[in-house]
Amino acid sequence: MTIAAEQEMPRSRRRSSLIRSPQFSSLVILIVLLAVFAIADANFLSPLNISNMMAFLPELGIIALGMTLLLTAGEFDLSVGAVFGLAPVVVMLLVQNGGFDIGIALLAGLLLCIAIGAVNGLIVTKIGISSFLVTLSMLLVVRGAALYITQGFPLKSWDQPGFFVTLLAGSFNIGTFRFYTSLWWFIGLSLLAIYVLHYAKLGNWISAIGSNRNAAVARGVPADAVKVWLFILTSVLAGLAGMISAFRISAASPVAGTGYELEVIAMVVVGGTALTGGRGTILGTIVGALMLRSIRNGIVLIGVPGLAYNIFVGVIILAMLILHALLQKNAARS
Amino acid sequence: MEVLRLHNLQKSFGSVRALKSASFTLDEGEVVALLGDNGAGKSTLIKAISGVFPVDRGDIYVRGQKVSIRSTRDAMDLGIETIHQDTSLAPDLSIARNLFLGREPVNLRWLGVFAPLDLAKLRDAAAALLKRVGISKKLDADALVSTLSGGERQSIAISRAMQFAAKVIILDEPTNNLGVEETHGVLRFVKEVRAAGHSVLLITHNIHHVFQVADRVIVMRRGEIVAEQTVADTDLLTVESIITGADMSALLKETRAK
Repeated sequence: MTIAAEQEMPRSRRRSSLIRSPQFSSLVILIVLLAVFAIADANFLSPLNISNMMAFLPELGIIALGMTLLLTAGEFDLSVGAVFGLAPVVVMLLVQNGGFDIGIALLAGLLLCIAIGAVNGLIVTKIGISSFLVTLSMLLVVRGAALYITQGFPLKSWDQPGFFVTLLAGSFNIGTFRFYTSLWWFIGLSLLAIYVLHYAKLGNWISAIGSNRNAAVARGVPADAVKVWLFILTSVLAGLAGMISAFRISAASPVAGTGYELEVIAMVVVGGTALTGGRGTILGTIVGALMLRSIRNGIVLIGVPGLAYNIFVGVIILAMLILHALLQKNAARS
Repeated sequence: MEVLRLHNLQKSFGSVRALKSASFTLDEGEVVALLGDNGAGKSTLIKAISGVFPVDRGDIYVRGQKVSIRSTRDAMDLGIETIHQDTSLAPDLSIARNLFLGREPVNLRWLGVFAPLDLAKLRDAAAALLKRVGISKKLDADALVSTLSGGERQSIAISRAMQFAAKVIILDEPTNNLGVEETHGVLRFVKEVRAAGHSVLLITHNIHHVFQVADRVIVMRRGEIVAEQTVADTDLLTVESIITGADMSALLKETRAK
């Protein structure tokens, strides 16, 4: 039980831990990426383009916040993209075909997301099937439901200005930049998520559950309940993001959000959250969301052909992950 | 003084009678070793005491009071802390956060699970605790548990149990997978735990360790307690033969006759 540790250790460890932290290497990569795109195309940093990126960023970013917490607790959710599509479709059907008030329809959409998350969480925790399989099945159910109830046709979304539209998809100008209120949602929810994960008692539980579930349970942490609530949260955030998107483009499509689940997981993991649970970072996820957004935006600007688009996205994400792993390994060694 | 008394505990899983009958007492400041081969019922017994599952029949008394233990939380509240090898700590959390996992000091308690951790208090209390149990200078309370060795982790887990003034600390195979030096460290630690007035129930395969730290041995076989002796009254060979279940009666009589 002897450990060779100098008195100096805490201080030097603290400094190197900043460099070693996963967020830090992600941030370095993001800066390099932004610089490369900015040099390759002058329009990349134009107010119009930045406004454009900031309009898209919150929609996936908000889901990524929930996904970060869920991944930190050791689970993940593949049904978020489908929920992103289903929630606005249900809300709009209730308003247009059912004649319900928009507020009531939104409440119904919220309850639907809560139900989907609860079903995911309960099956994963009570029956003990891996979240990969459960949420993959849920993806099919939810996406199928969205297609069936709309017969595959997109719905015209709520385009009358009003409280809810302003709340979710209003826009405002700062100088030559045009921002949507969704950015505030993203910033507000990010701050909340940072607080919860790193400073609240619940965050300690979430990390502990993902790190060693048995240890957490043995200390009296209600691991299953925490996971179920995180599934619900992730579903609700996916639904919220779907509503924001539908309001912004004034259309609710049953295929909206297809493939988002993997993009969101990529954002979270590129940011430095461990896919295996226990280690999560909201700051990293924000960096990851910015990174994926700017990759998607940047490669269009520099003129990659439309059909080759995903090849580049995939290769760049892979390169990010490799670079990330190498930086980490290097930092750990020094 | 008696701290824990088990009376006729029974537990079956389907048709398997994992625990046929177990009764024993544990006194204050006593280290009792629980021995037995795989499948002897040791883990069923400690899981019942630590609240992993309820027993079918039988009673548990803590300091003479009959108690019912339905969850790990119940057991902890009664002062029974169980430490399993490798399953006690979360490696991605700091030492301080592990020490207070599930009992975090918080501000604004009314916020429930959203209450902010009292990080200063957490760190100070952790440092004080590490110092009190004699592992102060060596470990930084902010270090991640994943950076610690197996023996250090055991010591942290045991310290945590001591800190909450546990009456009974159950150590499940605490020296498994540890090197020689680390094993001695942990065993020394067990003696310190006893000196501090806690009672220890030590589950192990290694009989040599038992003779180094235990006051009493209890041997289980096929779901029953088959022998109970103070360490001073027995020896390694006898205990070993009881565990394996070689023809004991004759052998025991012979040893006792000596």
